[in-house]
Amino acid sequence: MGLKNDQGIVLRGFPFGEADRVVVILSPNHGKLRTVAKGVRKTKSRFGGRLEPFTHVDLVLYEGRNLDTITQVEIIEAFPALRSDLDRVLAAGTMVEAIDAVVQENESSLRPFLLLQRGLRTLESGAVHPDLLTAFLLGIADVVGIAPAFDHCAGCGRSDGLVRFSFGDGGVLCERDRTPGAVSLRDGLTDYLARIASASLDDLPEADPSLSGEAIGVTRRFLEYHLDRRLGTVVFDV
Amino acid sequence: MFEAPVQKLIDELARLPGVGRKSAQRLAFHILQIEEVDARRLADAIIEMRETVRLCSRCFNITDEEECSICRDLRRDPSGICVVERAQDIVVVERTQEFKGRYHVLGGAISPIEGIGPDQLRIRQLVARIDAEGVTEVIAATNPNVEGDTTALYIARILKPLGVKVTRLASGLPVGGDLDYADEITLGRALAGRQEL
Repeated sequence: MGLKNDQGIVLRGFPFGEADRVVVILSPNHGKLRTVAKGVRKTKSRFGGRLEPFTHVDLVLYEGRNLDTITQVEIIEAFPALRSDLDRVLAAGTMVEAIDAVVQENESSLRPFLLLQRGLRTLESGAVHPDLLTAFLLGIADVVGIAPAFDHCAGCGRSDGLVRFSFGDGGVLCERDRTPGAVSLRDGLTDYLARIASASLDDLPEADPSLSGEAIGVTRRFLEYHLDRRLGTVVFDV
Repeated sequence: MFEAPVQKLIDELARLPGVGRKSAQRLAFHILQIEEVDARRLADAIIEMRETVRLCSRCFNITDEEECSICRDLRRDPSGICVVERAQDIVVVERTQEFKGRYHVLGGAISPIEGIGPDQLRIRQLVARIDAEGVTEVIAATNPNVEGDTTALYIARILKPLGVKVTRLASGLPVGGDLDYADEITLGRALAGRQEL
């Protein structure tokens, strides 16, 4: 046991004891870190607002038996703008919630870290693109190895007439396939989802209001099916 | 293991927040040593609080009557409501002696990460008070963290279309602190909200 350096993005925190907080941080090297910030809930805490969710921080930790204690923290990137806008902060919350669901402790998490960092930077840079969360959730599916297929039938491999989506089979299905539980997709949605999946978060194609709603709905249900938990319950209800 | 009645009390005390086994044991033996009348007074106080205390029907503060003492006080300014997360926060704001209006306790804060949405808070009841009480200003005194800020932004989005002025407690440097220790977010907000002397 001793001091160690690390860095990461603060995912969430919850009160612990009188004035402490358990802070869960996504480290690119070590996955989810569960740490304790002593006295952070006091207004005169030397940590101040550095350990708020979404902040990318550099840390000095004192290794403990169960939880490491934060002894120093410096901000690398604070994302102040996204905190001052309801739509952006709710979107950031959903990104963090989804990342939190797929990342484990004590394992390298560079790809999820970079995905979250890019997502937060995109939110920080301006208004929320209608398809940003769809792209982000598809990015998570890719990171965990369950990226849905959009260019061929997940049942028979055909590449034309892709009009349905199967959550269990992990992709689109052709019109001949009769897999139970698959949902029909609106005209053009397969190509629309494929374009979003292949685009960069900060350079998404122009949104189509008639398809955006269904795109996030299918993507969200797909990820919820595979992660076995609900996602974005707040952002989609506000 | 102690005798059953002593152990029972230790087990109950150890369930309280911030009380470990050792502290529970110390408290139990203290209670064993004090006069019976003192022990009974403590037990009565706990039972009386549980039986009489409820939530104010208007602001959801803790009270032993239908409405809390602040809501019943006719000298309070009905046009301003200070919105807080928990009933304990009312005491903190009251201690400043700067606010003469009434309060509204939300019962928490919006947290997309934890899955707590506006429906789980008393925001609907807050909206209902606006017209009923002639409220013109709502002060969002939620905690200065992501959840509190999100809640304040949501309240502003809901209430502004109703013509209500929604304000937020200022964020900045704690009195008596060193600038040296200020973090970038807090100092940034302090600069944005600086005042002319």
